[in-house]
Amino acid sequence: MDLVGLIASIFYQLGTNAAFLLLCALGLIVILGMMNIINLAHGELMMMGAYVASFVYQYGVPFWLAAIISFFAVGVFGALLELTIIKRFYGRELGALVVTWGISLILSQGFLLLFGPFMPPIQIPGGSFALGQYSFSLYWIAMFIVAMLLIVALWWLYNRTEIGLQARATMQNATMARALGVDTNRIYTLTFSLGAALAGLSGALLAPTTSIMPFMGQQFVAPAFITVVVGGATNVIAGALGSSALLSLVKTPIGFYFGAFLGTVALLLAALIFIRLLPDGISAAIQRRLDLRHRMR
Amino acid sequence: MANSASLIVENLNKRFGGVVATDNVSFALDPGSIQCIIGPNGAGKSTFFSLLVGIQKPDSGRIVFNDIDITRMLPAARVKQGLGLTFQTNRVFHDLSVRQNLEIAKAAGADNGNRVKDDRYLLALERFGLDAGDHTPARNLPHHQRQWLEIVMVLACGPDLMLLDEPTAGMSPQETGNTARVLRELNQTGLTLVVVEHDMAFVRDIAQRVTVLHQGRIFADGPLDEVTRRQDVRDIYLGRK
Amino acid sequence: MERILRLLNGSEDIGRGLPYWAIFAAVLALFIAVPLYLSEFAAYNVSFYLLNIPMALGLCILWGYCGTLSFGQVAYFGVAGYAYGIIAGNLINHPLGTLIGSIGGIIAAMVLAGIFGYFVFFARVQTWIVPILTLVLTLLLETFLGQTAGYQWRVGTVQLGGYNGMTGIPSFQLGSYVFSGYAFFYFVLAIVTVSYLLCRALVNSSFGKVLLAIREDALRTETLGYDIRVRQWIAFVLAAALAGLSGLLYVQWGNYITPSQVGLLAAALPVIWVAVGGREKLLAAVIGTYALNWINYKLSSSGNQYALVITGTLLVAVMLFFPRGLVVSLLDLFARIPAKRRAHGE
Repeated sequence: MDLVGLIASIFYQLGTNAAFLLLCALGLIVILGMMNIINLAHGELMMMGAYVASFVYQYGVPFWLAAIISFFAVGVFGALLELTIIKRFYGRELGALVVTWGISLILSQGFLLLFGPFMPPIQIPGGSFALGQYSFSLYWIAMFIVAMLLIVALWWLYNRTEIGLQARATMQNATMARALGVDTNRIYTLTFSLGAALAGLSGALLAPTTSIMPFMGQQFVAPAFITVVVGGATNVIAGALGSSALLSLVKTPIGFYFGAFLGTVALLLAALIFIRLLPDGISAAIQRRLDLRHRMR
Repeated sequence: MANSASLIVENLNKRFGGVVATDNVSFALDPGSIQCIIGPNGAGKSTFFSLLVGIQKPDSGRIVFNDIDITRMLPAARVKQGLGLTFQTNRVFHDLSVRQNLEIAKAAGADNGNRVKDDRYLLALERFGLDAGDHTPARNLPHHQRQWLEIVMVLACGPDLMLLDEPTAGMSPQETGNTARVLRELNQTGLTLVVVEHDMAFVRDIAQRVTVLHQGRIFADGPLDEVTRRQDVRDIYLGRK
Repeated sequence: MERILRLLNGSEDIGRGLPYWAIFAAVLALFIAVPLYLSEFAAYNVSFYLLNIPMALGLCILWGYCGTLSFGQVAYFGVAGYAYGIIAGNLINHPLGTLIGSIGGIIAAMVLAGIFGYFVFFARVQTWIVPILTLVLTLLLETFLGQTAGYQWRVGTVQLGGYNGMTGIPSFQLGSYVFSGYAFFYFVLAIVTVSYLLCRALVNSSFGKVLLAIREDALRTETLGYDIRVRQWIAFVLAAALAGLSGLLYVQWGNYITPSQVGLLAAALPVIWVAVGGREKLLAAVIGTYALNWINYKLSSSGNQYALVITGTLLVAVMLFFPRGLVVSLLDLFARIPAKRRAHGE
């Protein structure tokens, strides 16, 4: 009985660590894949999602609905950011980095001044169950399922919808796409908005695990960045999946034996070694395989 | 004395995803000559140059330059061995002045100290009418002078073999003619040249040997008249193959 | 010697020739005369504005001249500060203890940068990866230092101190002479002035020109025969040494250091100073650093909580409307007026 529990626990930890990384990084990857911009305000967008969720949760809105509201609220904010500021930095990668950093400063400090140092916490929904001496949280199992659903939803969006087709065309060759009638400006706005919305959603979903304060985004930023560096920009879905799976394989054993901090250090070391081997990220390697298979048919 | 460069390429292969850019290419340069590489668009000419200089790594094959196997070498090391490349899209330092461009190029070739190579640099500088003390930003130069500037910069590094990727693109017939004259003069001092070009008048002007690339393979190779007389060469240009 | 003078008078920084050096001398004289018109406390504050300049110079060279953005320069600031605290604290009775600590601090910063830089630059990664990974490094360093609260976290006799940081860091002294008050001010002024002049000579040298080339077109530079990875690595380690120098001066100034000096907010500051002043020119970065530190002090000492919001807004505004930096844009404006007059006059 204990062996079953042990194996289940190992898969559970691998899965939930991967889900955590995926949730942290998804919004960032969506934006990076389309515009080659790293949104340094990502942590603050997650924080905004948590704030919105906490706010409506106090009024009795169920947690899952609060998360969906966060998705749309932060998504709208993201669209506004893109239209006013971000769109002026396309083609200027480093400039975009710096300006989004300025935005993150304004947001974190601004929220501190507007709402004070703490928001009311959200209880972790669902209970837990045990298999032998190993315990499993229903909340984290739900997070894993949500992460998988998000990947499937994104895949469906990019590969089975008209707008996803336009988005992929814009990613490959924006000038050509424009020449064919795609409104690339709209695609960029929608993509940034989606990235922000995903950040807000993740922030809301992860809010129960931590205190909700203006600088809470910081704890998600390091894992998110590492996941994105290892994933690369070539293929959003392959990058997100491949990277979070790979990094979870690194983080889970080390985090288990040596604690959470060393787990994150191991992630950074893994990323440094990884980029020596595959400088363009795991998504580039996967894309090459896919291209080769497609041509061979 | 003039250094003659030798270049031997054996079974070079490169594919990008599903596209074969270089298909089992084997090639031996005539040292001290001027060769042109021609072929329809997409034939793999620029890819071939990137493989020679090391910007791209081949999937398989060997490149031997001056009896040294350079297949695994990084671009900077190959340039130090005596290879030079001018790019298809003009790559001078556009925001820097002509003077700064030349200073940087000269400093790269500083440890060569070879009279013949210095003379080539000065010759080209003079024939192309460029002023080494010019503070004009490179972007303000007329297009043909930017192309010439890039050639002079590469000469400053003291190569034994120069690869030129479409050096006369966008030039008028007089400018093209001037370029051909200067390249011929440089060749007479012993500099080996391989030039990718579309302009047949230019090719006729300078080429001692012509190689035709098509779909990543060497399609034909030989003296210019012989190659251009072939019907199948004309066919690939007209898209009949 | 003559070569150094020629390098100092090159054209890669703002201003050259007699007018420049005259103004330079005048400003320097103003600083030297500080005890005549500023109290020791005011001089103490000016020391703070000045000691951040080396870090800004390093970032300016790395980002503005070489084209590589690092978000984590504060990591080297902190490593040097903590290393100095450890070494000098343990060698408290040694007459040259603080000198050894200073050298040790800078070496520690350079070693960290050397190792980290090796992985990053020799991997030939895309441009956006360097800022991200340097930021991650400094965040991890902050987390690490933050959890060193217990008594077991000590090196020799010196406690690391966790989130409360390391206190009681000795001031710089030679023998029994302790640099404090006006003496420390002159100490900082001398070091910062020399650093600036050395950086100025560097950017005008042939090494500096190659950095420019790498920024402009890394591929072309490589195919001229330059090993760009080595040069980027050197620029990175140099920038770390300069950041470490600032860190060193900081702990000698305040006698304490906390993990927040390597945290996210602190990491933003050098980027803001250099971006707002102008990353392409050393002097612009110097002016930007001094001015923004001065403004920040005035804002926070008057109890203004909006200091960081204002700084963030300033950064966004400058990036939107004066992307080359305020000082550089202003100078461009002045340069265009005589050019226009000439065009109209003739």
